[in-house]
Formats: sequence, structure tokens, C-alpha cells
Amino acid sequence: MQKYEIMAIIVSDLDEKTAEAHIQEFIIGKIKELGGNITFEDFWGSRGFAYRIKQYTWGHYFVAQFEIAPTQINQLRTELNIDNKILRHIIITVDKNAPAPRKYADVKKEYEAQEKATKADETEAAEKKIAKREKLSTVKKTEKPEVAKEDEGDDVDQAIDKVLDDATADL
Amino acid sequence: MPPRPKKFICPFERSDIKYIDYKDSKLLAQYITYYRSIQSRFHTGVSLKMQKQLAKAIKRARQMALLPAVRYEK
Repeated sequence: MQKYEIMAIIVSDLDEKTAEAHIQEFIIGKIKELGGNITFEDFWGSRGFAYRIKQYTWGHYFVAQFEIAPTQINQLRTELNIDNKILRHIIITVDKNAPAPRKYADVKKEYEAQEKATKADETEAAEKKIAKREKLSTVKKTEKPEVAKEDEGDDVDQAIDKVLDDATADL
Repeated sequence: MPPRPKKFICPFERSDIKYIDYKDSKLLAQYITYYRSIQSRFHTGVSLKMQKQLAKAIKRARQMALLPAVRYEK
């Protein structure tokens, strides 16, 4: 007996309930028929494909782990290949270092929580940056115009003085 | 003499991952390029041992349409 893992895609023509029933009957039933022993079972639900498979854009995913004699695995593969409702399937041996299998819903929730946390951090960092910029800009705005006004006033005064001087000289 | 530069550590070794799962498409998506090919070890710093596992996992994920094999222009 060796540990195997199976992943299968059921066509999107079937509902979720009928797809699950199909899996119970034609995948798990067949494994049990061939003397297998199921240790883990997880129905992912509907999920979009990364590319089209026979013009289908999404399907029902299913994952399970089981123990079966290695001589029976070819029989299982041929029977799964004959089934029209199963778009694709993959059977692999479970690695020694592989951790215990987890439900897809739990993993998804964890990822979503992580994403939320990272987004919150990003927004905080962005707000801090904006606040810093505003502070700098306000300091610059308050400083610059005052200096400029004084300079302008001085220049104008000096110019007027010069003109007046010149005018008096001409007269 | 200037101090010796620190050796680059494999990102999987750093986070103590010993097995890369083909179902974890979000993790695998970090190691493919813009044109969806497997990124080389030179750019990611993954150790040879883990790169072999990673390539296998990505190929399995492609087989089950969890990851794209090529980039599509919409």
C-alpha cells in the first residue's frame, strides 16, 4: 500500500451538488472498489481555469488522498480517462516531507487575512508619506513668499530711488 | 580587508519550507516571469534542491490549469 494524491476537474455543465455526487460515485467509489482506503477528502468548489480546456472556462475541483496497492493504479487511471465528466485528473505519490493536507477553504481564508494586513500596512505607509510631504510643503510655502516679497519691495524702492535720482539730474 | 559579503540564503530555506505544494498557486506565481515561464535561479536565489521541486510543482499546476503556461494578450 502506498499513499497517493488525486486531483480532478469536473466539467462545469453539472451543478455543484451533482458534481459532488458524481465524484462520490465515480472517483471515490472506484478507489474503494479497487481496494483503496481514503484518508483525506476536499471539494474545492468552482474555480476558473488559467486557460481554456475543451472550450470550458471553469470547473469543479476535487482533491483526495488515499492508500492503494501500486498494481491497481493503472486500472484507476484508465477508468478515470474513460469518464466524460472528468476533464482532467492527476495522480501523484505523496512526498515524505509533505505536511498534513489542509482544506482549501482554510488556506484561502488565511491568504485573504494576509492580504488585508499587507494592504492596511501599505495604506498606513502611504498616509504617513503624504503627511510628511504636506508638512514640508507648508514649511516651504510659508518661508518663500515672505522672503520674495521683501526682496521685491526693496528692488522696487531702489529702482524708484534711482529713477528719481536720474530724473532730478536730468532736470 | 573589507568584510566578506554575506552569503545569499534561499528564500525557502529562510522560511523553513521543505516541500513545495503544486496546489499553492499563489506561492508558485511569484516564481514565474512576465511571459509565464519559470524564473531562473540566478534571479530568485533559490537553491538547486528547491528549484527542482519548484519546477515540478509549477509544471503540475500548469497541467491542472491552476497556472498559465503562456501569456495571453486580451
